[in-house]
Amino acid sequence: MSYTNEELGELIKPTKLHRKIYTDPEIFDLEMERIWGQSWIYIGHESQVKAPGDYITLNYGKMPVVMVRDKESRVHVLHNRCGHKGAKLVDMPCGSVSAFRCCYHGWTYKLDGKLTTVPHPTGYDGTGFDKNDPQYSMVPVTSASHRGFIFATMNPNPVELKTWLGGAGEVLDNLCDRSPEGEVEAAGGVLRYEHDCNWKLFLENLNDTMHPMIVHRSVVDSALEYIKTLPDDADEAREEAQIIPPFGASYKKFEETGITGFPFGHHYDGGKQSIHADYSVDPEYEQAMIAAYGIERTREIFTFNTHNTLYYPSITIKSAIQNIRVVRPIAYNKTIIETWSFRLKGAPESLLQRTLLYSRLINANGSMVGPDDLTAYVRVQEGLQSSGNDWVEIHRNFGQDVDQGDRLTNTGTSDLDMRTQYAAWKQYMTTEVRL
Amino acid sequence: MSIVIRSVEDLREIEGLLYEEASCLDRGDLDGWIQLYTDDATYWMPVKEDQEDPINHISLFYDNRVMMEIRRLNYTHPRAPSKEYRARSSHIISNIRVTDRCREGCDLTVTSNFHCLMHYHNKQTMFGGTYTHDLVRIDDQLKIRHKKVVLINCDAPLGTIIIYL
Repeated sequence: MSYTNEELGELIKPTKLHRKIYTDPEIFDLEMERIWGQSWIYIGHESQVKAPGDYITLNYGKMPVVMVRDKESRVHVLHNRCGHKGAKLVDMPCGSVSAFRCCYHGWTYKLDGKLTTVPHPTGYDGTGFDKNDPQYSMVPVTSASHRGFIFATMNPNPVELKTWLGGAGEVLDNLCDRSPEGEVEAAGGVLRYEHDCNWKLFLENLNDTMHPMIVHRSVVDSALEYIKTLPDDADEAREEAQIIPPFGASYKKFEETGITGFPFGHHYDGGKQSIHADYSVDPEYEQAMIAAYGIERTREIFTFNTHNTLYYPSITIKSAIQNIRVVRPIAYNKTIIETWSFRLKGAPESLLQRTLLYSRLINANGSMVGPDDLTAYVRVQEGLQSSGNDWVEIHRNFGQDVDQGDRLTNTGTSDLDMRTQYAAWKQYMTTEVRL
Repeated sequence: MSIVIRSVEDLREIEGLLYEEASCLDRGDLDGWIQLYTDDATYWMPVKEDQEDPINHISLFYDNRVMMEIRRLNYTHPRAPSKEYRARSSHIISNIRVTDRCREGCDLTVTSNFHCLMHYHNKQTMFGGTYTHDLVRIDDQLKIRHKKVVLINCDAPLGTIIIYL
């Protein structure tokens, strides 16, 4: 069947969501067209393409694209498709080239995507083929940078990236401001974790503060039990011990962190408080920050402490930890989650090492946190095959969201995050696009 | 005390340790497994084939004794959702080569190839790659000080790796 806009809208109710949004492949295809087609999608960080010719490849929704730096040092996002027969022009995850040359018939493109060479061109004489017609070049995708984070959109009439980020953009700024130089760079590689579930189940977990004490109880118990066995003079401030136990924080603690929702589906939990708030600060780093910003501004930067921030639908960041996770949907029941870590320029390397430790302990395929979350998502994915109840409920603190002008706020254990995401889902999905 | 390979018996002892470790993992016996490691041991599974560094680059695993102990306790915790499904595995270790290069704090380096067939949560997965074991003799007992596991597909998108390989 095909859905009308009205039918799509009916899948989202104020306090419940229809299970088909997770289980129907046709809905997934529409999501790639309408959500991925209209929103700004995270591509990569400009530090991943430092020199002219450096590129990375990825799929934007289902479409292969390449991000590349040209000879004038401009960063482009281009469709990764030869203008001739359609072959992908570059297939490596990253690399460096002087030009894009198709492996099939040798059509060659400049780093900005312009077609320059077609071998044995006489065959085209008098056929109407024009090498300079932009349709035969690598077609550009609209892209924009926010402090080095490159987003792209297939939307022919997009809102500006800054407008789209809105008030939630302050978290991305906070991530960068935590560098004494105000800049970050991608460092320490990437983890790619296959999730056998719908992409939305990952997003819904980000500010779900009702799950940690259930799902992560075992690792918290294990860490605390181990710490108990240590002699009294052992260094209990070890980083593992700082990172794991906060996952067992109480409902009350999570309530106090609050959730804040924004237009376009963005939201975060925390602000003044989060489970990252009590990490120790390296004295050398603190000095570098104070030298750069002064004491008052440094305190402001450090005390703005969010947990997970979602820029709907493709990127979630932890500013206090300097890692991001990127959502790459594959099918209605398959998603790849990438974890990238960032170096704060001008900060000691120990901070990057802590970021990597965090990513490894919490987000890695071999960790004791991520796999427990994934188990829950897969249970939901499989459970929703049941027609016994067509609806997923999202009542928590419904009707109590507080309007603060550019944002809504509610208690940290509310479903404000769900309401925020699905308001955007409904808006995008009931707007037709041609891609 | 340096380990000197003098005879087939010495090689057998090394193989015996590797097979015992594999057997512990196949049985899901992390209590037994951890006994085979020194107190200052590390277990490393890089995410890149030529990754030099477990500290300044992300890894799939990089555990010291603290994390090994937490993982050992976690593996049998009754409330760990991902541990409800018991992993069943079969390790095959072959091409065992002894490197007599003595690195700092390590008496002997042993390299081997492995295949590990694992059944976990309704899915069978084939893991394969190279092991590097740094071994040390303590009180006449051969122990593992460092193990590095380089998967053939370490840089590919992977699912959950529920237990050490």
